[in-house]
Amino acid sequence: MLDRLRNPWSDNRAELTLGAVSLLVGVCVIAMIVFVFARAWPIFEHNGLSWLGSGGSIKTQIANMQATGVNPPASAYYLRAWPIIYGTLLTTGIALLLGILIAVLSSIFIVELAPERLRRVAIPVIRLLASVPSVIYGLIGILVLVPFVGNHLITASQKTSVQNSVELTGEGLLVVAVTLTVMITPIMIALICEALMAVPRSWREGAVALGLNPLRAMLAVTLRAIRPAIVAAAVLATARALGEAVMISMVSGANFFAPSLSHGATIFLYEPLRTLASTIVDYREGIGAPALQSALYAFGALLLFSAFVLSIAGYLIKLPLRKYQVRA
Amino acid sequence: MNRYRRLSVALAVAGVLGVAAPAAVSAATTTVTISGATASYPLVSLLAQKYVKLFPRKYRFKIAQGGAQIGINDVAAGRVTIGDSSRGPLEPPAPPAGLVFYPIAKYGICVVTNKANTLGNLTPAQVLSIFTGKTRAWSQVPGATATGTIDLISRTSVAGVLTSFQTLLLEGKKVSSLASELSSEGLLRQAVENDPNGIGFISNYGATLGSVNSVSYNGVACNKTTVASGQYAGIAQFYEVTKGKATGAASAFIGWIESSAAARKIISSQWVPITQ
Amino acid sequence: MNAFVPDLPVSPPPSSKPGRRSSLWSWRWSDRLVLLCAWTAGLGLCLIAAAIVLYMGYRGLEYLRPSLLVTRPAIGTSQSQTGGLLDPLIGTLLLTVIGIVLAFPLAVISAIWIAEYGRPSWLARVVESAIEIVAGTPDIVLALFGLTIFQLGVFAPLSFRAEGGGVYGRSFIAAGAMMSLIALPPLFVATRDGLRAVPAHMREAAFALGKTRIATIRRVLLPSVRSNIATGVTLGVSRIIGDTAIVVLVLGETLRIDTQGSIPGLNVLRGTGSTLTSYVFENSPAGEGEAPQKAYAAAFVLLVFVLGLNLLVGRIGRSQAQSTGMSGVGGVV
Repeated sequence: MLDRLRNPWSDNRAELTLGAVSLLVGVCVIAMIVFVFARAWPIFEHNGLSWLGSGGSIKTQIANMQATGVNPPASAYYLRAWPIIYGTLLTTGIALLLGILIAVLSSIFIVELAPERLRRVAIPVIRLLASVPSVIYGLIGILVLVPFVGNHLITASQKTSVQNSVELTGEGLLVVAVTLTVMITPIMIALICEALMAVPRSWREGAVALGLNPLRAMLAVTLRAIRPAIVAAAVLATARALGEAVMISMVSGANFFAPSLSHGATIFLYEPLRTLASTIVDYREGIGAPALQSALYAFGALLLFSAFVLSIAGYLIKLPLRKYQVRA
Repeated sequence: MNRYRRLSVALAVAGVLGVAAPAAVSAATTTVTISGATASYPLVSLLAQKYVKLFPRKYRFKIAQGGAQIGINDVAAGRVTIGDSSRGPLEPPAPPAGLVFYPIAKYGICVVTNKANTLGNLTPAQVLSIFTGKTRAWSQVPGATATGTIDLISRTSVAGVLTSFQTLLLEGKKVSSLASELSSEGLLRQAVENDPNGIGFISNYGATLGSVNSVSYNGVACNKTTVASGQYAGIAQFYEVTKGKATGAASAFIGWIESSAAARKIISSQWVPITQ
Repeated sequence: MNAFVPDLPVSPPPSSKPGRRSSLWSWRWSDRLVLLCAWTAGLGLCLIAAAIVLYMGYRGLEYLRPSLLVTRPAIGTSQSQTGGLLDPLIGTLLLTVIGIVLAFPLAVISAIWIAEYGRPSWLARVVESAIEIVAGTPDIVLALFGLTIFQLGVFAPLSFRAEGGGVYGRSFIAAGAMMSLIALPPLFVATRDGLRAVPAHMREAAFALGKTRIATIRRVLLPSVRSNIATGVTLGVSRIIGDTAIVVLVLGETLRIDTQGSIPGLNVLRGTGSTLTSYVFENSPAGEGEAPQKAYAAAFVLLVFVLGLNLLVGRIGRSQAQSTGMSGVGGVV
């Protein structure tokens, strides 16, 4: 039989075999979507779509799920998960906005303004940063940033002013946002730098010849040309930020609190929160209890759905930008 | 090319076997899986270690933590052989039906503060008012040297120590939702060590690790002696939980814990045996 | 001839000296502001990068001793009792090997089929979209998926079955299978782009000599994309090494490698363990946290691995550019 495998294969057989293996990959992914949604189904069944809204304390709801153990009654499936959805949107949004700004500016710096020696060092360093595991960012966050914020930035009077609604310990929105931004920016810089360097020099030189100064030429011409790349970078960074579980679990303060601006802008930054992914990590040991299992899988299903929506959104945003010939 | 391919395959096989070597080949032994309370984890680990030393090759123990409620859920679902619980069957919320709770040791629940906060004693009313969130400032607690807001540090809802604490020392009321919820004794103790304004509750053995200030309750200090004599008010028990009456490996292990002198010696080191 | 000079806000033309910019003072203030921001952002980022690398290096060298790399970890209450990093190191290496071994055939074969065959085209689009979906899925969702699959009764031999009938579902094989999903997209994209970059005349020459398509792929195309595949594998390995969520959910979180059953080799694959990433997580104040020093040491080892892999990717890219004249596959997937 080994002989038959060693003899030259016909193209037909090869095509079928290779196609079957590729199909296997597709089947895996479809299986993933089906299985995750199947385990999440009870939450949808008992709550409809209103589990995305707010109502009651999610802390008590999850405690209830864990307490009812093996055969939970229908009431155990009650869930209103808005505080964590809000936390996810908040952290991802802040990190994305800051990140894009810093990434574009830094890319312009690296490609255009930096001296040659600095540029040769900067690009590998950015690549290195992009591949640093998130748990290391979490470690630095929890051992350096959190004590700094807790001991030096949060004042006692700020703590007392909210002492009846939440405890401020240094773990919270500020540390999460800063760490998340530092985490997703290198990815965006790497992509945007590549795209910047792929734009033909003649485009920019033409603009300079018409009288624009070099920076404005870059902004007006090159940046507009790499808009698809910026969108792709933003989509990639958002996907990473949405799914970041372990790092956020380490520095976000383990509290189902929804930071609110009504407490004042600075205190808002210090308040603890939880995101969808960090809740899954925090409650992973209880994943045996059926009600809690459906809840955690529902969060996972929501993350899967949003990753899907993100890539479609990225595709749609890039569609009208197709007229620029530079492939990003 | 062929030679390199054969060489790399040989290296890979050697590598796999090399990894298997530190994980020694064991004879076919029954594995007893245990999960549950973090407060009783040191005790159960020591007991399992001693049992394996006394009766080698009989049973292997796989002990996980997670919290008393996790252990109860896991044993009820058949995921583990024995569940560790630091709360009893009668405290709310009621455990699933069909489980049998075997008490193995008594322990005390101590209120602890940061080392710098040399609070000596708390009355029951004070403990109730602090942990339910009515008193929010250290200035309102006589005897406390800390200033500022009281930082309540508690456990997640799966913790048996939390349930027992609420039943025994909070008259059944719940800890305020302001409290930060940590998932193990070790984490709670660390949080209290790092926060000068922190206050929490922990088992008497946990209070001896690290450096926290143990507060007397109603004039009675919290340690092994006062738990043994029954003077301390917050005395709870560790249980081994099985689905139905214990059989086979579970029955052998639990029976050994209840009756053997070696087990009693281990329990007496930091906790209190059930029968004096 | 100069009758008509238009009134344009023209800045002085760039001087003829190469590299000289127009004078800054002729720029609009908004441009100068953007310039300042760009410099701040760029320098700030370089400083932060340097700070992270140097701080981790300083802390790591402070706490890492060579003996840590060969001692097994232990449960203890003080620093001196908690042992070393051997089991997490083995765990990382084992997961990487399993992940790449599972991902390699899937990724390379799918890439070949997409690049060289690709009929019917709706199927090709489905497969490519599927791999894009996997690339965009958060690793925590992949971990959840791993739990559902490996807790099915049919996969009980791959972990173990508890007393009451529940399948544990967590083992090296389970985590390795999920890691292969993580490594699949970079490897697939690298191979596919490499194959697409091969000039058409190489294929046509092989066909002219009478070789079948599959023989061309085996003998002509695959050897020429060797460095692309190497880059893809390295990218996949660096993603596997850095992943924590899958390890924490699907590997069982035991400090030491805990074997299952009695067949040597298979008992490790069925067993649970830890990796460098879960070790850092557990030893930080977010886990049991008794040993931040050990966490720094493990994090340093992790960083060294990642740095080494990055250098390897760079070197492969450079050697490919030199040997074939084609630009390598770079970038981050």
